[in-house]
Amino acid sequence: MNIIRGFMTTFKHLSEEPVTLQYPEQVRPFQVRFKGRHHLRRYENGLEKCIGCALCAAACPADAIWVEAAENTDEARYSPGERYAKTYEINMLRCIFCGYCEDACPTQAIELGHEHQLSFTDRRDAIYTKDMLIDPVPEGGQDTPQQVEPGVFTRSIPVMPDAK
Amino acid sequence: MSDKVKIIIDDIEYEVPAGSNLVDMAKWYADNDIPVFCYHPKMEPVGMCRMCLVEQGSIVKDRETGEVVLDENGNPQVRWFPKLQTACTQIVHDGMVIRTNTEAVKAARENVVEFLLTSHPLDCPICDKGGECPLQNLTMAHGPGTSRMNYDDKMHLDKHVPLGDLIFLDEERCIQCARCIRFQDEIVGDDVLAFHERGRKLQIITNSDPGFDTYFSGNTTDICPVGALTTADFRFGARPWELTEVPSICPHDAAGSNISLSVRLDRDFGGRAMIKRVMPRQNEYVNEIWISDKTRFGHHFTRSEDRLKKPMIKKGGVLTEATWDEAIRFVVDALKAADGSVAAIAGSSTPNEDLWTLRKLVEGLGGGLLGAWTPTHAGADLVAQVGVGKGTNLGDLGQGDAVLIIATDLEEEVPIWRLRLKQAADRGAYLVVANARKTRMDDFASDTVRYDYGQAAHAMQNLDAAIAKKLKEANNLIIVAGAEGLTLDGSRALMQAAANFLIESGHIGKPNNGLLSPFPGANGMGLHYMGFSPEATLQIMQNPPKLLIVNQAELLADDPFAAEWLNKVETIISLNLFPDAVSNMAAAALPIQSFAERDGTFTNGERRVQRFYMAQGPMGEALPAWQVFSQLSEALGQGHAKLSAAAVMKEITENVEAFAGMRYKELARVERQFPDVGGEDLYYGGTAYQNKGGLGVQIETSADKGEAVSVGEVKLPDSPKPKKGQVLVVPVAQLFNRQSTFKPSVLVHPRVPQPYVEINSKDAARMNIKTGDLVEVMMADQIRVTVQAHVNGGAPEGAAVLPRYLTDEATPMVLTVGEIKKV
Repeated sequence: MNIIRGFMTTFKHLSEEPVTLQYPEQVRPFQVRFKGRHHLRRYENGLEKCIGCALCAAACPADAIWVEAAENTDEARYSPGERYAKTYEINMLRCIFCGYCEDACPTQAIELGHEHQLSFTDRRDAIYTKDMLIDPVPEGGQDTPQQVEPGVFTRSIPVMPDAK
Repeated sequence: MSDKVKIIIDDIEYEVPAGSNLVDMAKWYADNDIPVFCYHPKMEPVGMCRMCLVEQGSIVKDRETGEVVLDENGNPQVRWFPKLQTACTQIVHDGMVIRTNTEAVKAARENVVEFLLTSHPLDCPICDKGGECPLQNLTMAHGPGTSRMNYDDKMHLDKHVPLGDLIFLDEERCIQCARCIRFQDEIVGDDVLAFHERGRKLQIITNSDPGFDTYFSGNTTDICPVGALTTADFRFGARPWELTEVPSICPHDAAGSNISLSVRLDRDFGGRAMIKRVMPRQNEYVNEIWISDKTRFGHHFTRSEDRLKKPMIKKGGVLTEATWDEAIRFVVDALKAADGSVAAIAGSSTPNEDLWTLRKLVEGLGGGLLGAWTPTHAGADLVAQVGVGKGTNLGDLGQGDAVLIIATDLEEEVPIWRLRLKQAADRGAYLVVANARKTRMDDFASDTVRYDYGQAAHAMQNLDAAIAKKLKEANNLIIVAGAEGLTLDGSRALMQAAANFLIESGHIGKPNNGLLSPFPGANGMGLHYMGFSPEATLQIMQNPPKLLIVNQAELLADDPFAAEWLNKVETIISLNLFPDAVSNMAAAALPIQSFAERDGTFTNGERRVQRFYMAQGPMGEALPAWQVFSQLSEALGQGHAKLSAAAVMKEITENVEAFAGMRYKELARVERQFPDVGGEDLYYGGTAYQNKGGLGVQIETSADKGEAVSVGEVKLPDSPKPKKGQVLVVPVAQLFNRQSTFKPSVLVHPRVPQPYVEINSKDAARMNIKTGDLVEVMMADQIRVTVQAHVNGGAPEGAAVLPRYLTDEATPMVLTVGEIKKV
């Protein structure tokens, strides 16, 4: 009797749809809050959201982020504030994708996306530079550095339309 | 400070010195940090920010009997003041009772913080002060946590106001504590900052032209309790928590200011450690918590692209790059070929370790002459005998003490001494300034003395009777004798005359008494103790040896007359930071490391031996000079090369008597200093750093040791006499100049004056010269420079004051004669 009950279970599962996915051809949908590789965001006009404050680097438990800041001028403007990130690097081998950087960011410049297929053949390739991390310029926007009218950007931290 | 009073802080009784400030005492004795914004332990209290409010009372005494009235529990009865008092304006007195932890005090602090934040922009993420900001820290410690104010109502003001070329003001961040204004006024005496407007419109402005015209502007950024004042040098360079602090010593002048090099790796510097900023490090004996702008902004030379990066040796008459092995072999061959006719000249910023190894090398070869460069200031031996006593602190001078400053412009030569002696005068010290022209120190002097250029020693010997009497009768007397407008013989005569004066009046062998001299460079006294002298330099000039080793001395850039004798030297071995005219002539030009790249020690003008530590990544293949000399010695069979600067210092302690007991370990000793600065006390003293690298050890003078010192003969030399149509050309120091170690600090360039010569109005009228005219100054040997004429009353008749290191060509080092012609 027990044997029959056991085979019943087996046969029941034979008729079910398999849960195995043929990765990488098939990809499972991500949870909205999945933490993949980082993106540096831009405003609609193309200016970078990052102000180079290095709070992400300070919050990083793995010491994976390296930021060097410099000052904006109206002739060469990267971000709306006074300061921008001249160098922005993340070592993806060190990163533990905890998302603390995202939490620390005062301008929501860094966000963890859904890209997770990170593999390297050289350790040095694991260092993602600013060029690799930053979003492409949105349509209608201008690439940085921008030349802007003096007197437009006078705040040290920009007032953000989408502040939480 | 001997009288003690008893005060009660939070129910615990403390015995503290009478007459001292309550905030200081609560911190020092009770470890009770009363929060302050406007109060600073180095300045007079003003009670403006109200952050230090405490409950205060006094113990009730019976008026008739004078006995303490007790309450029913048998405790002394306290009469509390009806309202809170500002602790910073209270002087401690017997029976003072304060409470700092009651609800009323907490509420007051919360309200003050909330009020200060009503218009503060809260841009901490990008603020250079963020992370070491007193406002940030005190808000965390005492703030209300939330604000009742509307965020959108904040005042929006200009965030980028340049106060001069070096300091930026952010008007929004300023909390109007006036620390910067009071620092400039009280401590420096350059009253160039002020408040403008009133109420919410109140702003800091500068009222000088050029803006913020002072040599101490950087210190205001340290004491600013918010990020309102920031330096152009560091602006956005890094976040404070990312920096590593490396203790170091200022390489520019005889004060030997203790500094902290804030270091961080940098992509633009090839991923190596790089100096991001220079901060003061507390040493109450040397520079307190202040540094000059030259110290703060003069670090760029250490990583200038112009630095000599590879050893060069002469092959077929051309300097070509070589490996160190080749270079060492080449130099060894040259040293052997010189057959004992070897001499060395070392620059005045050469560290002690380099000097010692150089001396051993030269003496091992049978050479003997060790020259000090520049040969302008004599009398280091007299400073070693009757210099300021061990334990001297210029900050202790005050009422009843006297200082004589002669033949030097301290503002331009050693700004930190000028700052501290100005404060001594403020505290009541009798300050006499003697010079042939008006200098900045005259503004603070009690008496001034004028003499003719070249006659300083004569003036020293024949001081006005009333002045001499006051100096002799002072409790403590320090004489600061320079060499402005003197030849080397004249400098010796002046130093001897000054030493004689001190010996005769008995002001030697005790702290705060004795002789000081503003030697050029950071290690003028070290040169003396290691056996280098300017007199030997003159001998080398007269009888050039076959082979001359020149270490960190730019002979041709310093002295227009050097080419003549230098050409007679067969082989020159040059070690320098930069390729210069000497290394171009040399058979071998070897790259050496600057103070930032290595360990070492300097001996400052007060004979304090102080350590500096390796901070920055090396430039090219440069080595520390001691290592080069040590390797050469080994190759010549003089024994094994030393492997570390500490090992060299150990050898010095065993061989040079003055340095006995000065192992690196001893030099690194620290003690608690008043006031507590640095560490977690940012709110109190500003961002001057705590001294963790060592206070250094002061060398005892002969007089300190009780050895007999006797009055020496003053040989008044023949001063150069101008013939008809000639003038005396007087070289003077200019703090901001175009010397190779300062020129790479590009941000200071707007503050470096254009080359000029100061001419007396009578001479100018005779020669028909006006301010702004281009004139040519011609000296012996067809040496000439073209500079702008200034006729501003800065030169006595018959003299042309020619600042050094402003022109590309060399200008004279010592007093000479010349002609001036309008171009």
